[in-house]
Amino acid sequence: MQLSTLSQPSLKTYLRALFVIARKDWKVFWRYPLNALSSVFQPIIWITPVYFMGKAFSTNGQAAGFAAYSGTGDYMSYILVGTVLSNFIMTVFWGMGYALKNDMDAGVLESNWLTPIPRLLILVGRTLTSILTTTITSATMLILASLLFGFKPTGSTFAALLTAIPMLVGLYGFGFAFAGIVLLMREANTLVDVGSFLVQGFSGTNFPIQSLPYWLIPISLMLPLTYGLDAVRGLLLKTNTLLPISTEIAILLFSMFVMLWIGAQIFHRVERKVRTLGTLGQH
Amino acid sequence: METTFIPRSLGQPGFLSEVRAFLAVSRREWIIFTRYPSWIIALFIWPLIFPMMYILTARALSGPDGSGLAVFIATTGATDYIGYIIVGTTVWMWQNIVLWDVGFALRNEQMRGTLESNWLTPTWRFSYLLGQTGPQIISMAMFVGITALEFGLLFGVRLNGSPWMIGLMMLAAIPAIYGLGFAFASLVITVKEANAFVFLIRGMVMIFCGITFPVAILPGWMQSFAKWLPQTYLIHGMRAAAFTNAGIKELLPDLLPLLSFGAFWLAVGYFTFLWLERRARKTGAIGQY
Repeated sequence: MQLSTLSQPSLKTYLRALFVIARKDWKVFWRYPLNALSSVFQPIIWITPVYFMGKAFSTNGQAAGFAAYSGTGDYMSYILVGTVLSNFIMTVFWGMGYALKNDMDAGVLESNWLTPIPRLLILVGRTLTSILTTTITSATMLILASLLFGFKPTGSTFAALLTAIPMLVGLYGFGFAFAGIVLLMREANTLVDVGSFLVQGFSGTNFPIQSLPYWLIPISLMLPLTYGLDAVRGLLLKTNTLLPISTEIAILLFSMFVMLWIGAQIFHRVERKVRTLGTLGQH
Repeated sequence: METTFIPRSLGQPGFLSEVRAFLAVSRREWIIFTRYPSWIIALFIWPLIFPMMYILTARALSGPDGSGLAVFIATTGATDYIGYIIVGTTVWMWQNIVLWDVGFALRNEQMRGTLESNWLTPTWRFSYLLGQTGPQIISMAMFVGITALEFGLLFGVRLNGSPWMIGLMMLAAIPAIYGLGFAFASLVITVKEANAFVFLIRGMVMIFCGITFPVAILPGWMQSFAKWLPQTYLIHGMRAAAFTNAGIKELLPDLLPLLSFGAFWLAVGYFTFLWLERRARKTGAIGQY
């Protein structure tokens, strides 16, 4: 007698699984409309202290000190680009690591794990809705922030968007590795918050990394996100870049593949260890 | 012969039993707090990295030649911009952590499915909230101490003021900060997913209370609004207590409103709890999530 699994995995079934996961998350997201609203206003709230702080450092609305580092005195446009990109960075971190923690708490992680779907596919599925909602909320946020603080792109929006794509795909590698750590440590909030904060901070979301203390700059230079943010700003705002933009794009493309591979490896190993320990469903 | 049966509760409520309940809740919260190793990260890393984002932005705004810093000093009167930012962000983090920890205490019980069974015990229900505050205040005191230590060691930030005055300002802030947490926790029993409310409250502190800038830089209407937030007085008073030789007399303009807000928010917190807890039981929403 030949044993065969009841499932018939194929590209079609995988796509259906992705769609089902995304649809479920979409329903949950819009079930709490206040949370949707807050995701528009939350980034504005975070950058408001920077706006007023910048005023305390500026004369006649121009931050001359900031311009000496970045090549632009328009620090709010600089920060707004960083904020939009960091929304997506957060989405990948939260989307995977935090989703696993929610499943643990709700007691559905083990049953989801028993479905005949690759686990990485489950993780990717959990980000689809959040990427879409982040796009919607970030666009709304950018419109509102433009009215409140002013946003003046002087370069090519299309080239900047194209450059952002390999950066975001590479982030999935980070997200896979991070999801593995959440499985192991069974606590997501602190890990997600600290991880996101450190990565965003060192990659220069709110400031040019040239202004970092010299002993922190090597850490920034090791993060592919640094080049992504730098290149996007260079194309959109014509700021000074660390390296020629073409070199930064090449680094992004290379690191995208490396990060995806390393992230998937880490996740698979940790996930196997967790199953061996029998702690998958614990929280 | 006719026998009468008077139903009688098995519980023997009294002051001591309430204290015991309070301690039991505190002990449970402490066990949960230390159960997850990431609390060490939270305690040591957060005090450093959250202010760092603003400090590094301020550093970039200062410019390589410090020209922006001269403008900042002229605007704020503060020579140590790192210390200035740390006080504001630490107060913000304190309120934020209380909203998540105390504010979601009952909601977490709902999610775990233990709220209804706890509610059936013959205990003063408010002790479930009060019990949360004990470990919370201890961990926050550690948090503030670690913040001062880390920034002192790594960035040379010196607290030139009196530690007694800093302690006094913090003590005076406890009723307002935790009272708000109690009111919030009660609200969460009814409205369930209340993350947006946390974002709203902490957002108001972030925008209006001058965590990284002087309130005087805000437009007039924002300054008027800031006067209605206790954290504005806490941040202002803490900066004076930490970096100047301000005594009680100099701190009174901050202490008095802070204590008044404290009395107000404690009362609001307690009565909101009584009202919404009763409402949740009547509507049957107590165990729903």
